[in-house]
Amino acid sequence: MYAGVVVMASAVGVLVLGLYALHRLTAVAPDSLTVLPFESGWAPEQHALSRYHVRWYLATLLFLAFDVEMLFMYPWAVVVAQVGVTAVVEMFLFLAALFVAVLWAWREGALRWV
Amino acid sequence: MADPMPMTDSPITTVAPGWAIAALGILGALAVTAAMLDGALAARAGGGPGGKMGGPVRPFGEAARLMRQRRRTTVEADRLLWRIGGAGLLVVAALMVTVVPLGEWTIFDLDVGVMWFNAMDVMVWALVWLTGWGANSAHSLVGGYRFLAHGLGYELPLMFALVAPAIAAETLNVGAVAAAQEGLWFAVWMPVAFLVYLLGVAAFSVWGPFAPAIGTDVSGGARAELSGVDRLVFEAGRYALLAAGAAFAVPMFLGGGAGPLLPGWAWVLVKTVALLAVLVWLRRRLPAFRPDKFMEVGWMLLLPAVLLQDLVVAVIAVWRS
Amino acid sequence: MGLSDAIARSASRHAHALVVEVPGSWRTRMAAERNVAARGWRLAISPADADVLVVCGEPGPGLAEAIEGIWHQMPGPRVRVYVHAGDEVGARLDEAHTGLLDTDRHRRDAQQRPTASELLAEQAGSRAESHGGHGDTDHGSAGGHEGMDHEGHEGHEGHEGHEGHEGMDHGSHEGMDHGSHEGMDHGAHEGMDHGAHEGMDHGGHEGMDHGDMEMSPGGIPLAEGGEDRDGLEMDVLQVRLGPVLPHWPAGLVLRCSLQGDVIVEAQAELVDGRVRQDDEVVGPARGIDNIASLLALAGWDDAAAEARRIRDTALEPGDGAAGSELERLRRRVRRSRTLRWSLRGVRRLSEEDAHARGLPADAVGDTYERLMGMLDRAVAGVAATAAGDTGTRTDDASRTLSTDHLPHLVMGLDLATARLVLASLDIHELLAGQAEHEVSHG
Repeated sequence: MYAGVVVMASAVGVLVLGLYALHRLTAVAPDSLTVLPFESGWAPEQHALSRYHVRWYLATLLFLAFDVEMLFMYPWAVVVAQVGVTAVVEMFLFLAALFVAVLWAWREGALRWV
Repeated sequence: MADPMPMTDSPITTVAPGWAIAALGILGALAVTAAMLDGALAARAGGGPGGKMGGPVRPFGEAARLMRQRRRTTVEADRLLWRIGGAGLLVVAALMVTVVPLGEWTIFDLDVGVMWFNAMDVMVWALVWLTGWGANSAHSLVGGYRFLAHGLGYELPLMFALVAPAIAAETLNVGAVAAAQEGLWFAVWMPVAFLVYLLGVAAFSVWGPFAPAIGTDVSGGARAELSGVDRLVFEAGRYALLAAGAAFAVPMFLGGGAGPLLPGWAWVLVKTVALLAVLVWLRRRLPAFRPDKFMEVGWMLLLPAVLLQDLVVAVIAVWRS
Repeated sequence: MGLSDAIARSASRHAHALVVEVPGSWRTRMAAERNVAARGWRLAISPADADVLVVCGEPGPGLAEAIEGIWHQMPGPRVRVYVHAGDEVGARLDEAHTGLLDTDRHRRDAQQRPTASELLAEQAGSRAESHGGHGDTDHGSAGGHEGMDHEGHEGHEGHEGHEGHEGMDHGSHEGMDHGSHEGMDHGAHEGMDHGAHEGMDHGGHEGMDHGDMEMSPGGIPLAEGGEDRDGLEMDVLQVRLGPVLPHWPAGLVLRCSLQGDVIVEAQAELVDGRVRQDDEVVGPARGIDNIASLLALAGWDDAAAEARRIRDTALEPGDGAAGSELERLRRRVRRSRTLRWSLRGVRRLSEEDAHARGLPADAVGDTYERLMGMLDRAVAGVAATAAGDTGTRTDDASRTLSTDHLPHLVMGLDLATARLVLASLDIHELLAGQAEHEVSHG
């Protein structure tokens, strides 16, 4: 059953490697050129890799809560029609509770940046 | 089958693994079709004297250009992660289509195919961000983080949109979801989930309104420092993701291979190309969704809308059984 | 070699060109952009994406240095052309096309061009030299920029020791370098003015550079922490926007301190001092060009391409079509809800703000309202030109902005939004402010 995936992964791997190999033949130079990063013509004053301030870090916490919720959602989706009304009520009460948290975070400005 | 898990009765036959190469070929052909269509539309919009040349052959010329162009490495770049990011998109797109049945054939008849697709599309987060991070360039870095910001807005609606067909079909097997739509396509009675899903496809392909991560306003963002074959695989990966996303929508929302006259596999391809055309055309019509503004839309508009959609679908599913 | 030739031909037909405008040579740039589109090429937005570097006008020393930096970042095959007037664009780009086809030359160029570490060593040399007080005149304005570099970067001190021989190296090859430039400017493209001599000059210093600067991998310092608005300690990145940046006012250099992508501090200056207006101001073309830039920055490529086409029509004598096409573009832009949603409320300026910044009254409002104003002015301008009225000239003359006012307009915005706001101001001419002189001498 998994053989198909393995073949697919290998095939696409071969495709990518093949493109890189072909590029060595067709490009004006096979090796890669070391350059300075683009900064409108100037040399960079620092390395760009740094402790980057993501302004939306509050939203990532919200996201995490919902993302964990998805773990329940998939198995629930398969059985909800058999289990019936209780499954629907329970799941959507849970989602509603989560969404109240989203509303609160939104009101606090967690979803707006700047 | 060495699989210990009991299989859902799937109306699908698993073909020999060697056919995966054919599936990759079809994905490639679809991606090239999308690129040609985009070239044709761009030429039409460009207009003017001589502006029409290029057109549908544009992608081939671009590929030739990038195959001739030298690769670049920036000073102290995180080379390994950078290259994984660039080449990974193509791999992810190929792994996505393994669970998409072509009519009655599939190469990977997974019980949790919907989750498999979801897992693959989440990998795009890491890949685009790595492409931005690895280059050690300010514009790239900003572009990479912009993609994550978009991701926070589109991913949850996309996940809940994927759940809707699964609720109605009572399975996560993609072939079984397609079979459950006899008579009425899910796109018809769960339109919100369908539309949100299509937005999600554009988003994980870094396409059209979801292109700020590679936007002009950040000098190309995540792809700002890519050249040569590195850029080629990144761009090919985007088109392949667009094609894979369109292909996956067919069994999920458009009844799979169902249709008159033509055989199932042909219908799957026809529907995929039609969806792909819509997605490609979207780029011409819409300016960018700026990530800072989109986050609020994703959470306060799309998320509640798909949650309500899921509720409606769940209620109907319970009522039917 | 049949395949290789076929690839070269196909690649050259689909080349990407990075067009650089020397301040004041905007008409030449527009002609170049038009020609690029007409031959089925594309406009590049970064050097990684560019095969052809098109320099429009005669760059001053500061801009020439930046152009040199860009030239070194282009992957190759690469061709550089200098265009001095709009009417020679076709011939220069033809030469560029021919130059792109010469695979052998590009192979040689690839082997001989200097790498980043050599360029960094060279730059370190020029920095040490300007410290020592005998910077050559060519780099006079560059010295001005470097003066600011040293605030708070210990990393540079390590270079002072090299002053003696670095200085000599630098002088010797700079001389050759610039000599060959001048000679070849009109020859349209030179593949490898930076020959192997640079590699020889600097090969020996690399080891020392790395040794001196343990906190500077690759010769570039690490970013340093700064107090964040949320009280977190995050790094502050110094990034310069301009002068070689598409959809950006020609000659403007904005030094930004970035926390994440937010500009927390900024200084603006003009790359070679005052801007000369080489090209005569005619009609509404510049305004339409600014509309095209704003639409491109807003991520709407199609509308931007349409605006550029209308701009080219408007530049032609006896245009009749521009009016109706512009009217159509205005309708299209107005109908786009996404664009309105995306630009609404972005850097709203009150009347006092506009007045204090020396901006015209139409800058009042948010970015969306300013875009609509630009479209309205363009429509009126095209109508006036068609009627033979030259009254729009006085209006053009008032669209100036002093670099002193620029930082206040972009601080607190993220990088991309700042560019949107700047494009929406519809600036036609930048004036060097007072602050610039203080900064460059202090």
